[in-house]
This record gives sequence, structure tokens and C-alpha cells, in this order.
Amino acid sequence: MIKVEGLYKSFGKLEVLKGIDYEVKEKEVICVIGPSGSGKSTFLRCINLLEDITAGNIYIDGVKVNDPKTDINGIRKDVGMVFQQFNLFPHMRVIDNITISPRKIRKMNSADAEKLAHELLKKVGLADKANSYPEQLSGGQMQRVAIARALAMQPKIMLFDEPTSALDPEMVKEVLDVMKQLAIEGMTMVVVTHEMGFAREMGDRVMFMDQGIIVEEGIPDQLFNKPKNERTKAFLSKVL
Amino acid sequence: MDFLDIRWDMIWNYRDLFIRGIGITLALTVIGYLGGFVLGLFVGMGKLSKKKWIYYPSKYYVDFFRGTPLLVQILLIHLALIPGIFGHSLGYFVSGVLALVLNSAAYNAEIIRAGIQSIEKGQMEAARSLGMTQNVAMRNIILPQAFRRMVPPLGNELIALLKDSSLVTVIAANDILYAGKVVAGAYARFWEPYITVAILYLCLTFIFGKIISYVEKRFSNSYVPTQRKKMFSTRR
Repeated sequence: MIKVEGLYKSFGKLEVLKGIDYEVKEKEVICVIGPSGSGKSTFLRCINLLEDITAGNIYIDGVKVNDPKTDINGIRKDVGMVFQQFNLFPHMRVIDNITISPRKIRKMNSADAEKLAHELLKKVGLADKANSYPEQLSGGQMQRVAIARALAMQPKIMLFDEPTSALDPEMVKEVLDVMKQLAIEGMTMVVVTHEMGFAREMGDRVMFMDQGIIVEEGIPDQLFNKPKNERTKAFLSKVL
Repeated sequence: MDFLDIRWDMIWNYRDLFIRGIGITLALTVIGYLGGFVLGLFVGMGKLSKKKWIYYPSKYYVDFFRGTPLLVQILLIHLALIPGIFGHSLGYFVSGVLALVLNSAAYNAEIIRAGIQSIEKGQMEAARSLGMTQNVAMRNIILPQAFRRMVPPLGNELIALLKDSSLVTVIAANDILYAGKVVAGAYARFWEPYITVAILYLCLTFIFGKIISYVEKRFSNSYVPTQRKKMFSTRR
């Protein structure tokens, strides 16, 4: 579903990604772990071209994302993204945050969009918050709205960029629970996370990145319990 | 203390000229400001463009109109530009409005550019990640937020423009200052006409200031409408 070939990304002289090859199959949950500055967020942001890539190719559903002829907005409709800082639109009510893209981009009518939004809010456990503004919500609630907002475009893939890193500890679980639910329902997900428990439990595969390359990847049991690489071992010994 | 022997009757005799002057000053200011705002929006966005053929004209536009005196711009437009294009003058009002529009557009462009740039990068990224095009995201996500932050500096610009509109008097516009000059010329007295002019400008800036602070309050930091805020005051 997602295929990454020889991906390089530099910011000026700083080389952040140094040749990433990876493939994500449909309904897989991939967790990306690694120290900060390892390039894992950049990797994720390259997938829906929030960063233009320096070299290499990315295919989503067989469509080359980085081809200048590709309609990048068309691709992004199918790839939802959840950010560390939520990035809700503060000037809109929760419901409008969720309906704006289906209305403006999918050309859904308001009634259908609102119906969808209410369903999604129920799903993330915030049915009563439709008319609130983001500033009236807690961090965990905001992130759940952000997930609902991304789901409203009915994406085939969901990208999560450290979705719980900006949350108070007691709110992490409510967001992870929503993500688990999504994973169980068969959403294809790529999750950059520091939540090793989530990676271990929900990841079909876990990828350990360091210094711009994939150091090691495999099923969680193998990666967490029998890491082969010294860098993986060193990282896991610090975080587990 | 000769100058305290004030003769308000001569102001009263010319009251029609002053009233007309207020109208002209207001018209110059309001039309100049609205035109300057719309043009400034384009120029300000132009300065944010990655396309060089949009960026550089926008930049040079702002550089020119901020870097030269408004008085010079007024004379250039009235005496050179408009006669150059049309062969004759179109009157002080057209020249005056045009000069004020072009000038305030440059200042508004900078305010608008800064306002847009002050919105967190994540807002555009979130909008784009939802499949919105650059234009849809700009109109629905970035500009509504940016406008709130632009309100105070845009208000300053309005007041500045109101006062600067008095420069149009050099091309014989019948504005407030012009009325004062006529009275001064007729009676060869300066205290009464110019203090009247000053007071009239002061009244107008006061009224505009009130309007601006009302708008500022409406667009205060919170996005939650005030009534609703009370309902939600028990927020976690």
C-alpha cells in the first residue's frame, strides 16, 4: 500500500534521511521508534509530501507520490495525518473542524458531513463536544478530535506523528485506546511513537530508526525481546 | 495677549466649507483605506509567494511606496501619472484617492504578510494533510485566524491614513485642512482656523479609535463567543 524506495531527505546540508526502503501492506500497523533526531517524523512527513523529498520514490497504492504529474491533494485525501501538536483549527467549533474538509474537498453536503462528524465524535468518545471550541478541550480530547477530523476524509492510510508526546500522562491512554480501536478495525497505520507498550501490543511490525536509516525492523516480539543490532539494544535499554 | 482674542464667528461663517471638508476627508480616508486593504491583501500575499515573478514586484511595490513620501506620491500621481495616461487631470479626488490607496496598500501589505506568517506552520500542514488546496486552506484556515491578529495594526494604519489624507490638500482637495487654509487666507488669522482643523481631526480620530477598539474587543484572544464562554466556565 505504501512503498518507499531509496528515500533521501536533506535540509540544506543536513542529511536527515539516508536511504530508506520500506513497504507497508494493507491493514498493517507499523510503529516507528527511535531517538529524537533519528528522522522518523521526517520519514512520516515525506509520505504525504509535507516535506519534498531529495531523492528516491514513494508509491501509495501504486501511484508515484513524488511525480510532478501526480495530484498531491488527491493523494492526501486518502492519507490522514495526526500531529503531535494536534493542529486543530482554533477558530472553528469541533464539528466544523471535522466537516470542513469533507465539505470543501469531497463536496459532501452539510447534512451528510455533520452526520458523519457526529458518528466519528461518538467513536472517539466525544459526542457531547460537537459545539465546543478547541480551546475548551483538554489535550487528550483535542487529539481525539484531530483523529476524528482525519477520519472524516475516509482515508485508506493514517499517519500518526508522535500523537501522545504532547499530552499529560493521564491523557495518553484515551488517545491510544482510540488508535487501538482503529487498528482493530483494520486501518493501515504508520505510527511514530515513544509509547513502547503500544508498539509492542498493536504493531504488526516495528521499525527502529537512528541517524536517518532503518537500523532494524521486525515483529514486535523479535525487535523488543531479541534485538540484533547494538544501537537497537542501547536504545531499548534506555526506554524500556 | 492678542492671540486670545478669539473670533469663532469667522469659523461659523465658513461652516459649510468645514462640513464639506469633513465629508471629503472621510471619503478620502474610507475609500483609500478599503482600496488599500484589498490591494494590500494581494501585495501581502504576493510577498509570501515562492514564485519570483510574483514576489519581486510585490516587494518592490512595498519598497517604493513605503520608501517615498506620500506628499511626493500625491504630486507625481496628480501632476504626472494621471495627465500622462489620460491627457488631462481627473480632478483632485481621483488623484487623492489613488495616492492614498496605493500608499496604504503598501503598509497594509506588510501588516497582512506579518499576520499570515504569524500563524503556526502546523495549521497549514494540517489543512494540506486533509487534502485542502493551498487556496482553500488560505481562505478557510489561515486568513480567518490571521485577521484577528491584524486588527490592532490595521487600526493604527486607518488612523494614520486619516491624518495623512490632509496631504491631499496640496492638490487643492476640499478637505478639512483646505477649509482651514481658506479661512486663514480670508482673515489673515491662523489661530482659529488651524485649531479648528486640529480639533476636527482629533474628533475623527477619536471616533475611529472607538470603532477600532470595539472591533478589537470583538476579536479578542478567545474564539469562544462570550455567551458560550460563561456556559463552559466550568471547563476541567
